[in-house]
Parts: sequence; structure tokens; C-alpha cells
Amino acid sequence: MKFLFQFLITIAICFILQTFLPWWSMAIGCVIIGYVFNNGSLQSFVIGFLGIGLLWMGLALWIDFQTQSILTEKMNRLLPINSVVLTGLVGALVGGFASMTGALAASKSTRR
Amino acid sequence: MKIFKVGLSALITVSLIWTLNRSWNVGQSIPPLGKFLDPFHGFWQNAEKAPTASQSITISGLQGEVIIVYDSALIPHIFAQNEDDLFLAQGFVTAQHRLWQMEFQTHAGAGRISEIIGSAALSYDRQQRRLGLMFGAQQAYDGIKNNPTSARMLENFSKGVNAYISQLTYEDFPLEYKLLDYAPEEWTEMKSAILLKNMAQTLNMGEKDLEMTNTLHLFGKEMVALLYPDFENVGDPIVDQKEGWRFQPVTTDSVPLALPAGLASIPPNPKMPVDVGSNNWAVNGNKTLSGSPILCNDPHLNLSLPSIWYIVRLHAPGINVMGASLPGSPAVISGFNDSIAWGVTNAQRDLVDWFQIKFKDSSKKEYLSDDAWKPSRQVIEHIKVKGGEDFYDTVTYTHHGPVVYDEGFQPERELKHYAFRWIAHDPSNELQTFYELNKANNHRDYMNALDHYSSPAQNFVFASVSGDVAMRIQGRFPVRRPGEGKFVLDGTQTNQEWQAFIPNEHNITYKNPSRNFVSSANQFPVDETYPYYINGNSWEAYRNRRINKILSESEDITPADMKELQADNYNLKAEESLPLFLKSIDTTLLSADERKAFTMLSRWNYVNDADSEGASYYEAWWDALYPMIWDEMNNDSIALEYPTTYTTIHLIKTKPELVFFDVMATPEKETAREVLQKSFSKGVEAVEKWKKEKGINPAWGDYKNSFIGHLLRGLPAFSYHVRHGGNHDIVNAHSRTHGPSWRMVVSLEKTGVKAWGIYPGGQSGNPGSPYYNNLIDTWVKDNYLTFNFASLEKIQKYSLTITTLIPTP
Repeated sequence: MKFLFQFLITIAICFILQTFLPWWSMAIGCVIIGYVFNNGSLQSFVIGFLGIGLLWMGLALWIDFQTQSILTEKMNRLLPINSVVLTGLVGALVGGFASMTGALAASKSTRR
Repeated sequence: MKIFKVGLSALITVSLIWTLNRSWNVGQSIPPLGKFLDPFHGFWQNAEKAPTASQSITISGLQGEVIIVYDSALIPHIFAQNEDDLFLAQGFVTAQHRLWQMEFQTHAGAGRISEIIGSAALSYDRQQRRLGLMFGAQQAYDGIKNNPTSARMLENFSKGVNAYISQLTYEDFPLEYKLLDYAPEEWTEMKSAILLKNMAQTLNMGEKDLEMTNTLHLFGKEMVALLYPDFENVGDPIVDQKEGWRFQPVTTDSVPLALPAGLASIPPNPKMPVDVGSNNWAVNGNKTLSGSPILCNDPHLNLSLPSIWYIVRLHAPGINVMGASLPGSPAVISGFNDSIAWGVTNAQRDLVDWFQIKFKDSSKKEYLSDDAWKPSRQVIEHIKVKGGEDFYDTVTYTHHGPVVYDEGFQPERELKHYAFRWIAHDPSNELQTFYELNKANNHRDYMNALDHYSSPAQNFVFASVSGDVAMRIQGRFPVRRPGEGKFVLDGTQTNQEWQAFIPNEHNITYKNPSRNFVSSANQFPVDETYPYYINGNSWEAYRNRRINKILSESEDITPADMKELQADNYNLKAEESLPLFLKSIDTTLLSADERKAFTMLSRWNYVNDADSEGASYYEAWWDALYPMIWDEMNNDSIALEYPTTYTTIHLIKTKPELVFFDVMATPEKETAREVLQKSFSKGVEAVEKWKKEKGINPAWGDYKNSFIGHLLRGLPAFSYHVRHGGNHDIVNAHSRTHGPSWRMVVSLEKTGVKAWGIYPGGQSGNPGSPYYNNLIDTWVKDNYLTFNFASLEKIQKYSLTITTLIPTP
């Protein structure tokens, strides 16, 4: 339950943050959310990875659908792998490590 | 332990962000992936839908409201209440669609590409600086600012561009900025001047002085005259009015020119490809079905994306004009208004000279001029290099112009120095010409407008609703002695310099000739009674004759006929050469493939349509033949040039035993006949190899495989291959990389001007826009957009979207 909750909150908060702030603002969001929820570090990594991955891929797919893939097709020729997948992967990696950092920091302080 | 884990995890996170927030250069350039892929701000935000909702934008500097109606092709129709607002709005909308291109092209002109892509462009940048392009741009800028009208137009255009730039955030940046990880800088008025000099570099830097000097030295004076005649005596000149030149020409003192001694072994400047050219013509009412003149224009340039042209309509009290503009410059360059239409082709004249300089010593601070040492001016060029150290380059200027090549940059073997004399370094104000043409009502206005025009020299075609058709070859042309400008010149004597310029009223003009039309296609400009010596880099020999033949034979011409002529694929060069070529072939020596090709060529109709296979075999044959004949001109250490296509074919016909037909790499002695046989085999081999690779028949459109490349070195993801007929030397002058970059047909009817136009690209420069490439298909099919030239009230009904620009309160 806590897993699902952190996952949804990650998506929602990072969506808001990124609407106004540069791309790395989601990492700050993930660290804080990871800290607050204090899930296991590996669990938190998975949440951040899936949450940001889905957020980035979801928005990319939405834009792709809205614009009838006009740019996606060109970028697929430019980038080494599919641009939606690469977008999700890059977001997911940063999101995962950021969430894990938050969780690790939290677990440390609670043990003391 | 915990601290260690937190620290490590934090370190990984921060390193990831750092790595993904900057660009990398590992053999190829990688954009900052996190920033670039971020769907909230990165490239995804450049994906666009067709605009539907109208919008209002508040911008500073406006006096009143400006309404911009976009038609279905995303052509902006700008309706302003005064000219200041009009040109400000033009700057704004052009930047909205073409900002990256505008900046990139001016960076390219100014030699600032290293700033964007790194040291790979350093040599290019140094060349641009050393050619003195910025020196010319400064002169042009001063010229524009000296005239209050053009100064004001330029100022407002620039304000409009900056109004657009100032409201951008990262997510709005054109895609290429994100890809290369840099940001748009402030636009300056100087940048428009640079853009005009870019055009001069494309069109008016053609010359072969070094090559001719070397040819003279290696092969002698007679060979220069035979291989590179001043005048090929083919077809009609642009203006033919024998004995019609009733003026006393300006003369210079007649010191005989000394022929240069020795070789000139500096590298030649980048060449103007032979497929840069243009067609324009105007027929008067006696020849048209409607009884009104029709004017046509199609400039042939390198086809690129974003396209070199941007279509715009400008409307304010006293001005209502439409046509092709150059993104980065105010006004319309080739277009029409309520009363007149005009268009341009390149004049091809020789406007470059190299003067050999004698420096006092290696510091190059003083040089000899007549009997005195004159001080030179040394300019230090500061070139910023992305990911590298700044580069400083010293360029020495003499009163002739810059010394482009010296010990520091591609030195000549014998360390001679040459100063580069180029017309585009002289003061000028072309913007005033375009401003006045945009507002012109009649032939007199057109003539007055052209009086301001210096460079790049163009053949300006004209037609008016009142029934006139005209041509004027306008530019700033030096008065030359016969033979002057062919070879490098002696820079130590002032009597060898350009001493006077042909006055505007002595320039070549033509109004309402008895043949009922005017036309130009880069051919020799004038009949032999014109009292000034004329030379040029090369003169066109085929398109002009085909156009004049069709126009002479046509009656009751309609705009549809004119569109058909612009798309004409008839290969006059093939008609004049192929029968002779085929006759030279010994058919008993042919292989099975060659025999088939021979039969196909014997039956070919000389039309380079996209489906024609004969055209592929002919062009492949020519592409093998031309370099095989002129193998003597391939020299690693000095520059030489191939004679023209026309002269080559003429020599095959008249002097088949000429020494140049011998192929140097073979022991036996060839004549034209053997070279034709050998190159035929080579040409067929090339086509057969292509057939095997592609597995399809060699239709010309496929074999030619024309390419419209993105400005970033033809980035494949943003570029297109098109299947189209034509070629250089054909009216539809579409070669592999160059072609009709803008086609326009205007019918100047008293009941209202009608016009059609097209270019191979789209109004938006954004690869993520549906309007990036939407006009390519129409262009390839030789179809046109029908321009809507109606009033604001009428045009609003057909609009795609409307943008209102509102002044800040």
C-alpha cells in the first residue's frame, strides 16, 4: 500500500515540479518523497524508476499521439534506440537513484 | 556504513544528472540527454500540430495593432497600420518560423560555426573571416544606415526579431538549439547585412583567375583562348539591341595589361557550382491569352531545409506586396504587388580579382604601391571554439582587400601574396532597392529602385499591369580593359586596378522589345555593340535557348503554359551531342549490356523526365566523359578548371584530334572518338552497378536521387530524397543537390494580379511541424500554390489561424 502510494505521489509531485522547473527538479522531488515514505532502499529505487519512467514515457506518448508522431519518427532515426523508450529510460534511471538516495537517508536517521 | 551507502547513492544521482545535463563529444556530438529528452521541456515540446486557435501577443515597440492572417500554407499576410509596424511584424513572424536558420546562416557568413560545433569548423570559419565577409557586411550596414528609409526598415525588422527572442524559454527554443546545446543570442541589424553578403558570396564570387593564370603558364595563350573563350557565340544574349547604345562610354587610361609570369599556387576560393543559376522571363500582352503580361522567375540554388526562402505578404498604407523573402532580411526579394512584378537571375559577371602584393618584409606591415610603401591594416580575428581554446588569426588588409592566403593559412608554395578584390567589399545599399521595388507602381519606379543596387549583380526582370515588360542587368561593374580580370593582376601598380565603374545609366537595359518578351538564364548579357568589355566566370548555353525558342513560338500564352515551361525537362544539350556521340561508337566492340544501352539511347527522346531510363544512360555517359577528357586539369598542387560543357562538346565536334582528348593514364593516344567509346563503357558500367545494387530499373528520378538536406550537414533524420526530373543545363534545372529554389508565375491583369508560387520545403523551419516539408510534394509534382492576394476582410474567411500583435500599453 505504501509502495503504491509513494509511486502515485512521485508521479504527481514530479509532474507539478517539472511543469515549472528544469528537468532535474524531479530528482529533488524523488529524494524528498523517498525520504518521507521511508520504504526499503531497493523498493524505493523501483518506485522512482517506474514512477519517473512512466511519467516521462507517458507524456512523450501523449505528445506523440497529439502530434501524430510527426517528430517521433524523425528522432527515432536520429537516436540510437526508440525515442520514447530512451526518454523513459533516462528519466527512470535518475528517478530511481534519487528515490533510493531519499530512502537510504531516511533509514539511516530512523535507526539512530 | 549507512553514511557510505547514502553518499554513494547521492553521488550516483548527482553524477547522472551532471552527465545528462551537458553535451558530449565522443567522435560524434551527443546532446545533453536529460535536458534533451525531458518531455516537459526537451525536444518533445517541438512537436507541433497545425495551429487552430487564434492568439494575441503583446510586444514592445509597436505603434498600433498588427493582424497576421496565416493562410492554409502557413503564409503570413501581415496587415499593419504603418510601415514601421509592418517590418517589425515581419521580423517577428520570420523569427517565429525560422529563428535557428536565421542565426545559423549569419553565423556561417561571419565565420562563427566553431562556436556551435567545435574545431571541425575552424578552417571554414577562418576562410570566411579571411575573405573579409564581415568587412563587406560592415560596408553594407553603413550603406543601409546612411539612408533614413532603409535604416528605419532594418531597425524595425531587428526589433521584431528580438521581440520574439526575448519571450523564449528553453522549451520554446528551435530544436537545433537543443540538439547542439546552445541558446539564441540577440539579433542585430548587422546580421541582416551579413545575410546579404552571404548571397553575394553564393552568387558573385565566381571567378577562375588563378586557374587561368596557371593554364596560361602551362598551356599558353592560344589554349586559353581555345578552351576558355570570353564569348562562346551561342544563342541570343539577354539584351540584343544592336547599335542601340547611344552614350559615350567611360574609358580608363589604356596601359597595356602585363600578363602574369609564373604559376599562382594559392588554393582557389570555394567554387560556385555550375548548377547555381536561374531563369526569369516576362511576356507582354501581345503574346498572352488574357492580353496582360506574365512574369516568371525561378532561382536555382542549393536546395536545403529550412528552405532559403520564406513566403510573406506585407500590407500597410502605401504597400501591398507578396513573394519570397530571405529569412533574416526585411522586405520581399522576388515578388509582386498590385501594379508590378519582378524577379532575379544571376548576372555571372567577373567581380573578383587577385592582386599580387609585394610586402616590404615578413611583418607584412607595408606593401609596395607605385613607388611608395603603403601601410597595411592588420585585423586580429577572434574565433571562439566550442570545447576548445579560442583561436586568434591575423588578417592583413591592403587597399585592394584582404590577403586571404598567407604563411598562416594555406600558404602558397612560392610564398607570393595575393590581395582579394571583391565587389561585395564596396559600400552599397541593396535594402533600399528592395524597399522601393516592394512599393513600385511602374517602370520608372523600378528603374529608380535599381539605381541603389550594387551586389550581387542580378538580371532584374520586370512586368507591370500597365503592360510594360523590361530587363535590367544591375550591379556595380568595374570598367575593364579587354582581357582585364582574366588573370591575376599586378598589385604594385595602381594603373592595373579598377579605376572606374560603369555608370548606372550605361548598364544593360531592355524595355518592351519587338519580340514581345524579355528573358534571362545566366547567358552572355548583351550584343557585341555594347561599348564595355564584359567577362564572366561562365555563361549558360542551353536553358536560355530552350526558353527563348518556346517563348518565340508561343502565342495566347496562359499561366499554365508558363508553369509547364518552368518544369520543362527537354535536354537540348543531349539533342546537340548525343547523335554525334552515338555515331562515334564502334558497335562491334560492345558488350551485351552496352548494346542494350546503345539501343535505348538511339531511341531516347532527349527528355529528362523522372521515368526516363535513356536520361540516366546519357547523364552517366557525360559524367564519365567530362572528367576523362579534362584529366589534364586534375592537378594536386595547382588549381586548374575544366572548360564549359558547351566548349567541350564544341571541341569534340570541331577538333577531335586535340591533345586534351588523350587520356594521360593510358599508353595509347586517344582522340575524341576513343574517349567517347571508353567513357560510354564506363557510364554503362556505372548504371549497371547501380541497377544491381538497387534491384530496380534506372529511371532518371531514381538514378539521380535528388536530395534536399538539412542545413546541419544534411542530417538524414531531417532531410529528404526526392524523385524528380530535370538536371543542370535543362530549364527544370534540378540536379542532385541544386534546383529551382523558388518558382513564381505572375499574371498582371488589370482586374487584379494573379500569382502562383512554390518552393521545395515549408514555411516552418521546425522539423517537428507539419509545415516543415509540406510543400515538397507539390513542388516535385511541378504544381503551385495559388496565392491569395485579397483584402483583410476577404482573406480572414480562409485563414488557418490569426495572430494579433498588440503594442505594450
